[in-house]
Amino acid sequence: MKLKLIIAAAALLASTPVFAKWSLVQDSTPVVVGGGKLKVIAARGWNRWSKQPTKQSELWSYDGPALNQIQFFDGLAEGQPMAKERNKKREPLPKFTQAMKGTDVAEAFEQTVRVTQGTPDFAIDRIEPARFAGAQGFRFLYHYTANELVRKGEARGAIVGGKLYMITYTAAALHYFDAHLAQAQAIMDSAKIG
Amino acid sequence: MNAWQAGIGTVLLLFGTANAHAKEPKPTGSPSAAGYAPIGRDEKGLWAEAEEEERELKTSKLVVRDAGANAYVRHVLCRITGEEACAKVRIYIVRAPIFNAGMFPNGMMRVYTGLLLRVRDEAELAAVLGHEFTHFERRHALSALKKERNARSWAAWLTVASGLTNRPHNYLPEFLAAFYSYSRDQEREADLGGLKLLHDAGYQTMAASSVWLRQRDEKDAQAAALGVKSLKDSDYGPFESHPMNVERMTYLAREAQAMGTDKSFDGLTDFRQAMAPIWPMLIEDQIRLNDFGASEYLLANLARGDWTGSLLYARAELYRARAKGGDLLTAETLYRQAIARGDAPAGAWRGLGLTLTRTGNQTEARSTLTEYLKRNPDAPDRAMLSAIAEGN
Repeated sequence: MKLKLIIAAAALLASTPVFAKWSLVQDSTPVVVGGGKLKVIAARGWNRWSKQPTKQSELWSYDGPALNQIQFFDGLAEGQPMAKERNKKREPLPKFTQAMKGTDVAEAFEQTVRVTQGTPDFAIDRIEPARFAGAQGFRFLYHYTANELVRKGEARGAIVGGKLYMITYTAAALHYFDAHLAQAQAIMDSAKIG
Repeated sequence: MNAWQAGIGTVLLLFGTANAHAKEPKPTGSPSAAGYAPIGRDEKGLWAEAEEEERELKTSKLVVRDAGANAYVRHVLCRITGEEACAKVRIYIVRAPIFNAGMFPNGMMRVYTGLLLRVRDEAELAAVLGHEFTHFERRHALSALKKERNARSWAAWLTVASGLTNRPHNYLPEFLAAFYSYSRDQEREADLGGLKLLHDAGYQTMAASSVWLRQRDEKDAQAAALGVKSLKDSDYGPFESHPMNVERMTYLAREAQAMGTDKSFDGLTDFRQAMAPIWPMLIEDQIRLNDFGASEYLLANLARGDWTGSLLYARAELYRARAKGGDLLTAETLYRQAIARGDAPAGAWRGLGLTLTRTGNQTEARSTLTEYLKRNPDAPDRAMLSAIAEGN
């Protein structure tokens, strides 16, 4: 009986990220994000969350994720969603496919945010071609309102070797977005694949 | 004193507490009467809370400000409640793609855009508004507050008392189940109250039932597209605040027939005219939810056999986003149909151009995207689409 309890407790500990924590990212040297191929050089003061939103992504924040966050998508493969699906069968999220163009990626990102953040007020403000991690890719700006807080964001990404690499910077429109935009853009500029 | 006596003592103590509340004045009169102010601590508290929420809602970016749509929804409410009563209600159309509306004890009513997308005519809208108004008029929030407080209080005391006996038991689930059962009764009362208002105002009474019938059809369509079992008949269980859709659909149809179906006003034309300015936004918010089955079902309902350029475009967008099997070719066809009608939004050229880049015709893709940029000079995706048109 006692043994069973210990096993159950251990299983519980293993399945829930009780050790999920924020830790300061070392700046000025390349760090691997998402545990795969994407590398960036961090700016001072950013923290990474040990709990990855999905297997292919990683979350950073400066003041807390509700105020500002950078999300790294490290090589989404065919058929993978951009966020964790709450209910794969009944509430599926849009999936990445290799045939997507920048506009399709932006639309899939929009749908993902609308569903996961429960916001109907999402708009892509601009989308244009841009270099990303040495490849031809895209850059888009967006804004949305969730929980009455207006957020602005910038995303840059590219499809390389059939996989999607993308970095998104999202922050509260009031003060926080502008406050860390330059840093976030520097991080995006520093991105390398491989 | 043994444990059992201690339990009795606790229960008596509880009665003592209940008596302290007995001095609370009982609110009387209609809350929708001119000049009505909340009576007693509970009602005043509820109103104060609701007013706080209303203050926040007033400045929300998600409130739809379209004057015509707001005036129209108010006009429908006034038609069923009379001018004096509806003057006590403030309606907020809130942008959220869900099938819902909500009434607050102080007369604040929220109508979600997902509901406006789902009701088919004025009579159906009136049925929902009548339901919400009945909650207000009969002070449902106040009686629910008291019921829940009593349920939780009894459950807590009995649980504590049972701990002193040799049969400890948590009473909360039983008492909460009883509270939810009461809440479902309130919903039934609001349904029937709304139906009476609908009837007395000369609306077609079957409209109240139709709303629920189509909710079930929508669930079927949603499940079919996902390849899963429809949940329309799954029992919600004892902790659900509303009766099941199937039950509401049935008793509303029975009651409607019993009341007489001689009244036939459905207000279809007025409804469509008033909603037209906000429909594109409502449709956009729905089709961007990655919910193919429900969205296509709703579009077909809006079309009622007459697929306008905007609706064809919206349907094409669903197929382009899903992009499975023959979806892109279906999207291409629907965009072409929209464009051929002459009333298509500029987005139809964008969608067709992007679809053609994937179905193979690059020359036509380029000319179609160029046409889109000509029709929408301020397009936020101009640079990207120009690059795609050039084959990049």
